[in-house]
Amino acid sequence: MKDKEIGFYELPFGPAHSGSGNFMVKLKVDGERVVEARADPGYLHRGFEKLMEYRTPLQNAVVADRVCILEPLSWDLVHAEAVDEIMGWDIPERAKYIRVILAEFTRIQSHLIWFSGGSMATGFQTGFMIGIGYRDYILEHIFEPVTGARVYPTGYIRPGGVRWDLPKDFDKKCYNVLKKIEKAVEDFDKLLFSNPVFKERTQGVGVLSKEDAIRLGATGPIIRASGIETDVRRDDPYEIYDELEFNIPVMDEGDAYSRFFIGRMEIVESMKIIRQAMERMPRGEYSLKVNPFMKMKKGESYARIEAARGEAAIYMVSTGDRKPYRVKIRGPSFLHLIPVLEFLLKDQQIADVPTIYWSMNTCPADMDR
Amino acid sequence: MSWEEIIKDYNPTIQRERRIWVNIPKDKVYDILQNLKNEGFEHLSSLSVTDWIDEGKFEITYHLWSYKFKVLLTVKTKIDREEAKIKSIYPIYDRSAWIHEREMHELFGIEFIGNPDLSPLFLEDWNEKPPFRKDFDWREYVRSKYYNKENEREKAYWEVWLK
Amino acid sequence: MVDMDKKVMARKMGRLIRSIWIFNWFNSCGVTELLPVVASIYDMERFGLIVVDNPKHADVLIVGGYQTEKSIKRVIRIYNQMPEPKAVMALGSCTITGGMYWDSYNTIKRLSDYIPVTIYVPGCPPRPEAVFQAVGMIFEHVNQLKKEVKGK
Ligand code: SF4
Repeated sequence: MKDKEIGFYELPFGPAHSGSGNFMVKLKVDGERVVEARADPGYLHRGFEKLMEYRTPLQNAVVADRVCILEPLSWDLVHAEAVDEIMGWDIPERAKYIRVILAEFTRIQSHLIWFSGGSMATGFQTGFMIGIGYRDYILEHIFEPVTGARVYPTGYIRPGGVRWDLPKDFDKKCYNVLKKIEKAVEDFDKLLFSNPVFKERTQGVGVLSKEDAIRLGATGPIIRASGIETDVRRDDPYEIYDELEFNIPVMDEGDAYSRFFIGRMEIVESMKIIRQAMERMPRGEYSLKVNPFMKMKKGESYARIEAARGEAAIYMVSTGDRKPYRVKIRGPSFLHLIPVLEFLLKDQQIADVPTIYWSMNTCPADMDR
Repeated sequence: MSWEEIIKDYNPTIQRERRIWVNIPKDKVYDILQNLKNEGFEHLSSLSVTDWIDEGKFEITYHLWSYKFKVLLTVKTKIDREEAKIKSIYPIYDRSAWIHEREMHELFGIEFIGNPDLSPLFLEDWNEKPPFRKDFDWREYVRSKYYNKENEREKAYWEVWLK
Repeated sequence: MVDMDKKVMARKMGRLIRSIWIFNWFNSCGVTELLPVVASIYDMERFGLIVVDNPKHADVLIVGGYQTEKSIKRVIRIYNQMPEPKAVMALGSCTITGGMYWDSYNTIKRLSDYIPVTIYVPGCPPRPEAVFQAVGMIFEHVNQLKKEVKGK
């Protein structure tokens, strides 16, 4: 018999822990078992929604990519979409293709970071090195020549199109990088996904059932790993996704391994999308003429996209001023890291906590905003 | 009853394909959301608040997505600014509603009746007005808190100040 | 900066010349551009730098990017736990002036108002090369200290 009063103690996971990012979960533990988990966010809260109320759409394009450092271009894209819809703009075809290509590259590099983190959490340093190494090809050969900076594109995807055209030798670079990514997928298959140790540590850990996934508001790879076939790119298409052919990977297990594996399959699909988009990309204009001092139209819009972590959305209200009246940002990690994680950590072993945490494809920055 | 019938009486506007907006009075919202959930709007995409300070109202928006019909339905309702209280939808959408309401409670100071836990989320030791309300002068607050008038470097923030 | 006898300090800091142990306060911009620094491509272990998990083991605290009101308290606590001599490297323009978030109500505007900063690395985020340059400057700083002590 155990004395309940003495048996529990509280263990903070994070914020200063190399495996947790800037986020804390307070774990109430009974020996090795987690009885209750309680998330404590707010280490990165900057108040984006209010910052955007003080800026014009073109200024906001630069602010928007800071929402999540790991996938800045996705956030650029969703912001641009929200403004485009309020203004009723139909942007040039070429801009749509450029947006899609960059968004998919962003997804790939974000997933590579995810795998690196996952390998770290399961005690596999090599995976960490490989993932970050391959990601650098995208930063160095795609993002830097196109947007001008390795990480932050400073509003490259802006309302009305993109800031400037692709560089001349983009084709060559793009196909070279895709070849590298293929290698990366091969490497991860060999070293991570077929590795018995990795399987042992992730299979059957942190199982999220179908009903719970819906109830807790999971989206993106997390909900697809639980057996629900949904993807904003197909269900609620934006840009040119309805013209492209790609599959939506789904798995039924709902455990940490299947979440990682969904990410791996998504990389393959993203490469397919990029190849198609590269072939079909038309020539022509890359942006509408946008007056920086324009007044926005009166109205509201709700733009959703499929970011690497799940559904990213912006709700924007405009009263016809130069600045939006209200912006609401919906970050996928906000739900993944608080309700879903709290639910999954319950009744788990302490040793599994980092694995589960990393399998959520986390980004504390878009949770806090 | 299909979902179209549930909202038919409230003049929904169709903005474009897959985007429908509807305004519903405050006391009906809970029942309608309950019915919509049963009809297949299972995913609470987001819950947001707009502060219409000139009107003296808060507008609460529920963005619902249906995996079945592939429609994004936005339900909007207005409550008085003075008496910022509304029934929580925690019993309908469970934890996903809980976390959104907790956030809105912190940032706008709206009371969600029936929500089990509305403790602060992002801010530690905050004792000003809820920061996202329109009458909280954000820039004035920043200026007086962080920028020193005497400091040579920071003087500019006091002299030139964008509104 | 640190009230300690220069001689003692130079001697103690001497060990920094061979290897720097870093405690990384992971933050937004810190994490993305430090990952290539830590992992392959730039691999900082070549220069004897490693990331440690315990502030008591660390020589250098890297503060990457903006700090919110909540996280700065933790930074101060970590800083106080680190043994002397210690250095603080602040990454990003956010630590210098507030950067992008100059009008945000929840971020601090200058790190040196809260803890003594040895070196600022500008950039948004700073490139990995810049981080290495900053490390080089810390080495130089130690050398300088040593020379001064010898000269006396
Ligand atoms: S300097 Fe730039 S990258 Fe660094 S924290 Fe600030 S906004 Fe982020």
